[in-house]
Amino acid sequence: MNNEMTLSFVAIEENEALARMAMTCFITPLDPTIEEISEFKTIVSEAVTNAILHGYECDGTSIVTVHALIEGNKISMTVSDEGAGIFDVEQAMEPMFTTRPFMERSGMGFTIMESFADNLSVESVIGNGTVVKFEKTFSPVTEVSRMR
Amino acid sequence: MADIEIIDNGIIIATLRGELDNHEANRIRSHISSSIFTGQVRAVIWNLEGLGFMDSAGIGLILGRMRDLAPLEGETLILNPSSTMEKIFNFSGLGPNIRHCTIDMAIREIGGVLHEQ
Ligand SMILES: Nc1ncnc2c1ncn2[C@@H]1O[C@H](COP(=O)(O)OP(=O)(O)O)[C@@H](O)[C@H]1O
Ligand SMILES: [Mg+2]
Repeated sequence: MNNEMTLSFVAIEENEALARMAMTCFITPLDPTIEEISEFKTIVSEAVTNAILHGYECDGTSIVTVHALIEGNKISMTVSDEGAGIFDVEQAMEPMFTTRPFMERSGMGFTIMESFADNLSVESVIGNGTVVKFEKTFSPVTEVSRMR
Repeated sequence: MADIEIIDNGIIIATLRGELDNHEANRIRSHISSSIFTGQVRAVIWNLEGLGFMDSAGIGLILGRMRDLAPLEGETLILNPSSTMEKIFNFSGLGPNIRHCTIDMAIREIGGVLHEQ
């Protein structure tokens, strides 16, 4: 199956759930396993939360854009913001690294995204914004995966 | 959603439901934190049996409450997370706190640990 979508929303925390819900609906026709759905939802949640919180400081007016393309049983996604940007991407991707420890951020977002996604990459320019790109391939449907 | 119950022997049972993301963690943090500071709390049991989703905000929330508990030398147990959540806890070094058991068994374990001291 092939399909394509774009979703844009303002930077408020409530839209973390919106993005997860919309993306979960979008991949449902691929018949993913429960485990695949929850890993995928987690990647989306981490990337979108970062854009809202770190990119835009929840300013309620700037726009986060999610684009997704389904080709066969693979989804390719980008989560983009035109916000603060990341000073040092390599450092930001280290486990436990966070610029907001006082907000009880764990610094595990990128580690989780990299573990659950295929081919995750991050492009970022200070003052211009950040684009997180990744793919995830869902397993072909089998009776076992249906039952899970 | 979070149900906070403090049982007699100073154990907090935090039962989480729905979806625990950054937004939800910000809503329930102070509620859980203030119950830790109410008195003689010795342990927090996070009951995740009914939690449908959690991202790294859950790690921040639990590590933060472990910091609240540290001066009280309190224990933390994480009960029955889903397999995706378990992976996230393992990445974050919280694997040793996970138990797959009933609340009663977890309470007994904490009781036992405190008794031995
Ligand atoms: N979209 C973004 N815009 C600006 N900075 C970001 C963005 N995404 C991530 N970062 C930076 O990378 C750091 C690490 O991100 P992450 O691993 O998700 O941990 P956390 O969100 O817990 O801080 C953040 O603390 C932040 O400084
Ligand atoms: Mg993050």
